[in-house]
Amino acid sequence: MTHDQPQRRDFFRTAGAGFGTVGLLGAMSAQQSLGSDGKTPATNGLHHPARAKRVIFLFMNGAPSHVDTFDPKPALAKHEGKAPDQELFNANRAAGYMPSPFKFAAHGESGMEMSELFPRLSQHADDLCNIRSMHTDVPNHEPGLLLMQSGNQQPIRPSMGSWLSYGLGSENENLPSFVALAPGQPVVGPQLWSNAFLPGQHQGVEVDTNHRDIEKLIANIRHPSMNRSTQRRQLDLIQTLNKKHLADRPGEAALETHIRAMEMAFKMQSEASEAFDLKNESQATRESYGDSEFGRSCLLARRLLERGVRVVQCFYVKKGSKQPWDTHKNNNSGHQTLCADSDRATAALLTDLKQRGMLEDTLVIWGGEFGRTPYAQIDKSKDLKKAGRDHHNTGFSMLLAGGGVRGGLTYGATDEFGMHAIDKRVHVHDLHATVLHLMGIDHKRLTFRYSGRDYRLTDVHGRVVSDLFA
Amino acid sequence: MHFTRLISRSVSLRLAVSLCLAVSFCLAVFCLPASANEQQDQQIEFFERKIRPVLVQHCYECHSGDSDVIQGGLRLDHPDAMVRGGDNGAAVMPGEPEKSLLLAAIRYEEMEMPPDGKLSEAVAQDFEKWIALGAADPRANDSLPQSNPASDIDWDQARAFWSFQEPIKHQPPSAKATDWAAGKIDAFVLHRLESAGIAPNAAADRQTLIRRVTFDLTGLPPTPRDVERFLSDDSPTSYQRLIERLLSDPRRAERWSRMWLDVVRYAEDQAHIVGGNDSLTYPNAYRYRDWVISALAGDMPFDQFIKLQLAADLIVPDDQDAHLALGLLGLGPKYYRRNDPTVMADEWEDRIDTVSRGLIGLTVACARCHDHKFDPIPTSDYYALAGVFAGTEMFNRPINDTVEKQTGKKKKGEAKKPQDAVHIVREGKPTDIAIQIRGDATNKGPLVERTFLTVLSKQPIPLSNGSGRGDLANAIADRKNPLTARVIVNRIWMQLMGAPLVATPSNFGKFGSRPTHPQLLDDLSVRFMENDWSLKWLQREIVLSSTYRQSSDIDPAKAAIDPENTLRWRMNRRRLSAEGYRDALLAVAGRMETSIGGVSIEPDTKDSRRRTLYSKISRLGLNPLLARFDFPDPNAHSAKRHETTTPLQKLFLLNSPFLIAQSTALSDRIPITSQSHQSAIQTAYQTLYARQPTRQEITLGENYLLDGSQQAWPQYLQALLISNEMFMID
Repeated sequence: MTHDQPQRRDFFRTAGAGFGTVGLLGAMSAQQSLGSDGKTPATNGLHHPARAKRVIFLFMNGAPSHVDTFDPKPALAKHEGKAPDQELFNANRAAGYMPSPFKFAAHGESGMEMSELFPRLSQHADDLCNIRSMHTDVPNHEPGLLLMQSGNQQPIRPSMGSWLSYGLGSENENLPSFVALAPGQPVVGPQLWSNAFLPGQHQGVEVDTNHRDIEKLIANIRHPSMNRSTQRRQLDLIQTLNKKHLADRPGEAALETHIRAMEMAFKMQSEASEAFDLKNESQATRESYGDSEFGRSCLLARRLLERGVRVVQCFYVKKGSKQPWDTHKNNNSGHQTLCADSDRATAALLTDLKQRGMLEDTLVIWGGEFGRTPYAQIDKSKDLKKAGRDHHNTGFSMLLAGGGVRGGLTYGATDEFGMHAIDKRVHVHDLHATVLHLMGIDHKRLTFRYSGRDYRLTDVHGRVVSDLFA
Repeated sequence: MHFTRLISRSVSLRLAVSLCLAVSFCLAVFCLPASANEQQDQQIEFFERKIRPVLVQHCYECHSGDSDVIQGGLRLDHPDAMVRGGDNGAAVMPGEPEKSLLLAAIRYEEMEMPPDGKLSEAVAQDFEKWIALGAADPRANDSLPQSNPASDIDWDQARAFWSFQEPIKHQPPSAKATDWAAGKIDAFVLHRLESAGIAPNAAADRQTLIRRVTFDLTGLPPTPRDVERFLSDDSPTSYQRLIERLLSDPRRAERWSRMWLDVVRYAEDQAHIVGGNDSLTYPNAYRYRDWVISALAGDMPFDQFIKLQLAADLIVPDDQDAHLALGLLGLGPKYYRRNDPTVMADEWEDRIDTVSRGLIGLTVACARCHDHKFDPIPTSDYYALAGVFAGTEMFNRPINDTVEKQTGKKKKGEAKKPQDAVHIVREGKPTDIAIQIRGDATNKGPLVERTFLTVLSKQPIPLSNGSGRGDLANAIADRKNPLTARVIVNRIWMQLMGAPLVATPSNFGKFGSRPTHPQLLDDLSVRFMENDWSLKWLQREIVLSSTYRQSSDIDPAKAAIDPENTLRWRMNRRRLSAEGYRDALLAVAGRMETSIGGVSIEPDTKDSRRRTLYSKISRLGLNPLLARFDFPDPNAHSAKRHETTTPLQKLFLLNSPFLIAQSTALSDRIPITSQSHQSAIQTAYQTLYARQPTRQEITLGENYLLDGSQQAWPQYLQALLISNEMFMID
């Protein structure tokens, strides 16, 4: 006698077979074959109709400053230099309130206020949903990163991309369902795209976008010396051997799966090579994104999303710089450089997605693991010109666009100094619940049984912020 | 209280104040003079109109008996529960709105409820009025389903569950087919099969058998010479002698060590690194791995094997080498911001999870935040164990006397650099710790004495000598512990038979699976203990069985009755693990380096020649070859491996420098001339698949080689190396 529910066991078997396209859809149809009603066409096996089919998470490693970007705080100028009258996380290195030197203005019909650091992105104001009331649990990078990517502060849970891959699979069998683009190793590292206890095919495939050559971008995508026709001949031999082997072992379904996977790998070589090759883009397009690591990541991401990859993470890191946005020093000049790069690529991505009619069902997320302090951080020199901003978790901003979110919406608020989210607060768990909802998934029902209980991305937390929906 | 915690969500969700209010609100409502009955009716009507709809619409999702998780332990679906309140106390104090936290929460004063939007002031005023008038509540007549606090567990009933009963030996019922059973295992299996009307498969042919059992016991393929010798030995004891040879092969310990390292989430670093700071890494972790290999090679009794890994420093204080065993604990994850109470609580959870799921098949960590939902493990039991780990310190013991040591008070005696240390544990300050309510380190409940799991013994087993680690080791390795032997027997069975008897190898609780052959499992477990907990004995017992020696052919008629092969009418056809496959490649290519133990290697470089067991295991970034081939995440205990088949795996087989290097080496090992195609092909088949090729297969190979290019032979060999037969075990 076994205690597992039959549909769950069937699900494991389907999922274990390893082809991205099953996921939740597979689970649902397995359940249906056990006797329930036919599939509801409107939801296509999802928990509810999806507003977004794919996600791209533009992640600013190190945490951008909200009061310099998307959350204007004139009170900081009025109270410049004044010490906040509350207990601070790192009081010994805190100086007084530091106004942003960057001008804010209203943009678009919605009048969304954004800083001059985003001249291109502000032209998309009416497509953006600006959440100003984000908050997370701790102001440290490691737990903050893990919480943002996996809903847990310790590295033992699957990342959001893995959950989405597990739930939805890929739309293209020749490409992985979840890709992590990282031109350098971010703090925490591969745990940020880990499948943890989910089956291996849901791990994010890491791609180092410092490279431009396909061979270096994807490990083993091409044979170092064999040409395609020779390899086809070798593959035909392999498949003949495999089919004979299978014929001697009738009924062993796993063997067919191996045969299929081998054939797909062969196809993937050309398909992925094509997808990952930016030379296939026009000069004008490449220039619009900018020839930076992040720009290339964004352009590559668009190519992958277009070809059916479900989730792409673009980590804003550089070779040897694990968290460029961590501006403890020189916050202002740091943000000038970083935002210019991020602005260009993000705006180009939105334009591009829109032109291709993809923005409406592609959810774009922009943000970091937390925000930065509205007050200054100074070093021993006490030179305010070099002042930075410290980590700040109790109030910060994130942007969403496309994928069924309401454009032009500025949502929630921090207090007059930008210290704490006070109105319509959105926790990281709430963001996760909302992203899953947009993808057609009820965050409480996407579970995986492990270690004696059913785990989910949001654990016991999370609420869907439906105010954000279009 | 820490600033960041003050406004962190987990805290703000909670209704605070203490549970000290014996409230007699029922009196206020019900002990009224007759004329007041009308008044009461009005109040109830007010409740029905103004209060209940709000509770149902805005609160029940998280605060009722129907909630997935009752947030903050607070239920608002019954007046008694409202008064009793959540983790920290009463939500409603009838007659006293200003002291009622529910109202404060609705007004977003101390906390903000409901979280997705403040209710109107009009609603708040309704609640204020309702509470002021005594909080009349017709739901008082509904029964309040009880949760399951420790005091409510019926322990006698709980202990009656199958896995909490001590296993006993059984006499297998007699079977009709009297000549099939080779031993007791088979008698149990045969009885079930005959009851279902299924005959066991015929025995596998001898070529299949030697390939199967050589991989199973040593993790490597048989050499053509091994095969030839076995096939030409027609004495009735040839199989027994083969088994004895394999059981005493030093390769056996290597293969089985890896199984254990999955259980104990062996790794050599942490999931995070700050800058270049390597102070939390374990550069000498391999010494623990090597200790495991040597213990298994010497067939150390399994009870001793466990005891040393938990408490070698207490059991054999002077035997420094044996202390390497403490790596089970000493190589556990150290999380970022160590010494913060919350982070330390997370580390205790890792230790408890590894020890409980790994050694006794119970998901004790589920009881960290609330009493276990399915098993009789109250939160107090969790913190009784956590106390043991709270009193245990991670210890970087200097590798010898010459290395530089720490001088600070806290780390006294430790090596300064992790490179100079073995990573073990030592006794800290013995301590009982308090329950952390809902897993929140800042919210303390009562102190609990360190004792072993209540359900596992009628008399409490104290874990109070020092940290209690030695007591814990004894309690787990005790013959009376009903779980320890069953759990390891099931793991070994799973490795050898392709599917476990208990389908959830690390969960023998209520939510886990029941054994497919309970008597077999129990009988084998008892005999295992009687045979001095010898893993070698256990492996021998299983591979000598007729059950193990069956062919793996699928008979459609039998499959129609038992598609999952639950009854064991055939051998399960299996796929080699990442280790098994990579090792086999090295072995057949003649490139495997055979030295045992030592520092770790990267397994995917083309020149790496050591067994996969010796791979560097990183929590930070697991080697991509391992990660791609279903190696478990070493951040946590792994109960069993997933098995995925993906195009990315096949890309590695088709194109990786590692595979090309093995193909080339193999082509050097099996030379070929234009006259010798057939014999070279034959040698390849014997080396790789332990069999002769068929005529058709030879022709297929000869045709492939017809183009005469120099590369054709290694390409052909690569095809053999990566086709299904290479990694499937019949």
